[in-house]
Amino acid sequence: MLGEFEYLLITAAVSLGDSAYGTAIRQEIEFSTGRKCSVGALYTTIDRLESKGLIKTCMGGATPQRGGRAKRMVRVTLIGIQSAKEFYEAVTSISRDASWVSPSIGGVNRIGGLE
Amino acid sequence: MTSLKSLVDYSARILPPDDREAVLGDLIESNATVPQSLREIFGLYLRQQVLLWNNWRPWLAAFGLAIPGSLLLIGLSISVSVAYLRLLAPAVIKATGHTIGVGFMLFLCNLLLLVAWTWTGGFIMSSISRLTIRISATLSFIPCFFCLERFHVRSLSRLCLLLFLVPAIYGVRRGLQIAQIKLHSALLLAIAITLLTIPTWTIKDAWLPNWALGWPTWYLVITAIRNRNRSPQEHSTWRTS
Repeated sequence: MLGEFEYLLITAAVSLGDSAYGTAIRQEIEFSTGRKCSVGALYTTIDRLESKGLIKTCMGGATPQRGGRAKRMVRVTLIGIQSAKEFYEAVTSISRDASWVSPSIGGVNRIGGLE
Repeated sequence: MTSLKSLVDYSARILPPDDREAVLGDLIESNATVPQSLREIFGLYLRQQVLLWNNWRPWLAAFGLAIPGSLLLIGLSISVSVAYLRLLAPAVIKATGHTIGVGFMLFLCNLLLLVAWTWTGGFIMSSISRLTIRISATLSFIPCFFCLERFHVRSLSRLCLLLFLVPAIYGVRRGLQIAQIKLHSALLLAIAITLLTIPTWTIKDAWLPNWALGWPTWYLVITAIRNRNRSPQEHSTWRTS
């Protein structure tokens, strides 16, 4: 079972598609959760997910706005997608009777989020 | 400002090359200030170091090999040095009229064991946990400093305690370079070391160093057997760890 931050990272990487790399994933997570995401947390989680076979990474191209430094590109594997799906289903399932879940919307309240 | 940026670049050298490149690029792209950049770099480094110890290998390398191994090898270094003085030192031979033959084989076995055990220990220490090798190496110096401080034998130089260092350093370097050796080499080394310990089997207190220093050679054999049965990984641009 994935951890919360692992799920956020995988979901952000899937949303970003071919543009998934360090800064873009961080910004996506910070925008969605409203929480600060440190470089340390991001890269150690990337390493852990990579060692579990849930994502693959490679060094991408350098751009001038990065001072000519390469990006570490992230791609989610099929196992990663399956794990994220299981996590999402588990959270949705356990939250169905929670007081903060609005029956009219039928989903998890954005304010409550996944915290 | 340029010097502060070079401080960030210099600090980032503690990170592995790929991480350094990606992290520095990310920090530039997100317009992080110098203090923020330093905090992020050291934060990542600390997390990586802590995570390295979330595994049995660094613990084995540091506390199963580096500390006890160096302590026992210091003892063997002293034993070999004393035997050398007694058997082979020209001044002693001349003064006592002794011939080289007495105890020479045991001395030779101990000398070869010292080299073989030390090389193997260094090799295993670096190959099973190469990312924590600096910590393991530092820990292996603790017994050295302890013994150097207390060693006072007029006829022996303190450097005798550190005879094992040269093969150890060579072993560590080889471990970092090749990580594993072929099965037949590992088997040959293990058999040779075991045979060299035969003269010590009758000595009551020799079982401890024999086992404590001998297990890395058989670990090397087991690792070589396991690795031989594995198929080579496919080469790909994408890393999969």
